[in-house]
Amino acid sequence: MVSDFFFPNFGGVESHIYYLSQCLLKLGHKVVVMTHAYGNRSGVRYVTNGLKVYYVPWRPFLMQNTLPTLFLTLPIVRTIIIREKISVVHGHQAFSTLCHEALMHARTMGYKVVFTDHSLYGFADAGSIHMNKVLQFTLADIDQAICVSHTSKENTVLRSGIAPEKVFMVPNAVDTAMFTPSPKRLSCDEIVIVVISRLVYRKGADLLVEVIPEVCRLFPKVRFIIGGDGPKRVRLEEMREKFSLQDRVEMLGAVPHAQVRSRLISGHIFLNSSLTEAFCIAILEAASCGLLTVSTRVGGVPEVLPDDMIVLAEPAPEDMVRAVKKAIDMIPGIDPQVMHLRMKKLYSWDDVAKRTEIVYDRAMQSSTTNLLDRLPRYLTCGSWAGKLFCIVMIINYLLWRLLEFLQPAEDIEVVPDIGPLHAQIQRDDLCEAQENQI
Amino acid sequence: MEQPALGISDGIYAYKHLCEGGIDIHEIVVKKSSFRILLYYIGTICLLATVCRTLLSKEGLYLSSLWSISFAGIVAKCLRCDPVKKESLVIMPTFGVQLEQHFWSGRVRRKFVPIGKILKPVLNECVTPVICYWSLALLLRDEYELMLVFMKLRPPAKMLVPIWNALCAFKNSDSTRRLADPHPKDSACSPESKLKT
Repeated sequence: MVSDFFFPNFGGVESHIYYLSQCLLKLGHKVVVMTHAYGNRSGVRYVTNGLKVYYVPWRPFLMQNTLPTLFLTLPIVRTIIIREKISVVHGHQAFSTLCHEALMHARTMGYKVVFTDHSLYGFADAGSIHMNKVLQFTLADIDQAICVSHTSKENTVLRSGIAPEKVFMVPNAVDTAMFTPSPKRLSCDEIVIVVISRLVYRKGADLLVEVIPEVCRLFPKVRFIIGGDGPKRVRLEEMREKFSLQDRVEMLGAVPHAQVRSRLISGHIFLNSSLTEAFCIAILEAASCGLLTVSTRVGGVPEVLPDDMIVLAEPAPEDMVRAVKKAIDMIPGIDPQVMHLRMKKLYSWDDVAKRTEIVYDRAMQSSTTNLLDRLPRYLTCGSWAGKLFCIVMIINYLLWRLLEFLQPAEDIEVVPDIGPLHAQIQRDDLCEAQENQI
Repeated sequence: MEQPALGISDGIYAYKHLCEGGIDIHEIVVKKSSFRILLYYIGTICLLATVCRTLLSKEGLYLSSLWSISFAGIVAKCLRCDPVKKESLVIMPTFGVQLEQHFWSGRVRRKFVPIGKILKPVLNECVTPVICYWSLALLLRDEYELMLVFMKLRPPAKMLVPIWNALCAFKNSDSTRRLADPHPKDSACSPESKLKT
């Protein structure tokens, strides 16, 4: 698994990689994660269940992304792939430069590559145009791709021009063992609405500034708990001061992920005001804790929860207030425990891992092609961009050949395979039992 | 009594294991390669030529000439031979281990680590921006940092494993000895000696 986004950084992509890796380890596969160094966290680390993580000492330069160097990551990517006996390289997130470079190098070396896109992007602004061009380059020669929702799949196919039959839809999931409802049902005398998200433009923090005062005005028994931090926090604080809502709007600041559940179970309704979301794991977590969700109808959000667990609204203050009113009326009929049990059946990381396994099998079955057969795929990326991409791939191939000459693959020592930790513990227990019998 | 040396070899390094009078010696020797010496001389000549051209030209020192000297210096540094000829680990039972660095110039740098200071030898995977390699290090009592056994050389794991095994056996034998006789005779710490004084 390759991405710029992994622990100790926290977010949807990071937890997706972690949980998917853990479940794949349980299925008996060997999984290695490659990411960049975070501060002093550099080198090889082993996390839960023996998951091996390479924190490559390439410093991030912008928003946790490694500096794009095109070819300089080839030696380390090649070394890791050879020494760990990797068969499939799985990149995550279109915004990760390390992911794009690793997929390019893996493809050059003839390995199978899979890409998962976790976000939706636009088409019109300068940043999106450049990002889409990079994505076109990476996906021009991909074996298989995964998207987290049907909306995300449509978005990825339109942006990159990849054939739709190469794109699988495998949704995210939630750790229902961690996100459980409160054993004691909350009283409906006071309705608590919980908001936990990064307070940035993309997450609709400006909408909250409009919605909260109106809801507080219309419903005197409603209280808000807002967890999270970001540049828009100041606006929310100003709103609180302006409308004298200090006793009805509680600002928690940044909430560590380990404490999210304890904050969620103190509320009846979870409010999500994102302006764009490919999937939104946060509403899964809220539903798993037994909260009714009110969310903007954007991106892949309508695909996530059944209609009786979520009230959708357009990303406009009036419609959101209407949705909150509808949710408040639905509260007495909501049973958190029933909701949690339904979520357990609907979403599990084991299911995600099994579906991802199918994608890997499909990727392994795809034909192996040489450089000359692959170059025409890049020409379809554009009249100028296509030729540039071809030159980049040719240079990458020549550099790979030079590395093969200077340091042949046979000289790179393979790491001994100790297997996942739970298998080792079982082996130790078995040995101990046999010794006791003797 | 000296026992014949056992060895493993690859393209760059050779590993030798000697036993002399009960002392275990593990050596990693850099193989002399005429190709690498040639590259070293080429790099040095390039650097000297660049410096001389800059100094002897009538134009004087400009930014471009500084750049060319810096670039030639980097190339010469990359192509230079390692000054270390061999690194060795000498295991002295019941005393400790001695880490030695032998240079091509004849100089030898030695460092002794008493047995009581060693907690455990470990095989580490090291990651740099371009490569991964194995290293053998010692976990030391009351020290925050690991001590590398081979500081300059990067021998492959197949050479490090027998050395690590020997260090583990050395450490285990010391632990066994301490368990068997926690208060050795004539020790200043033994109760008998305290009564005598």
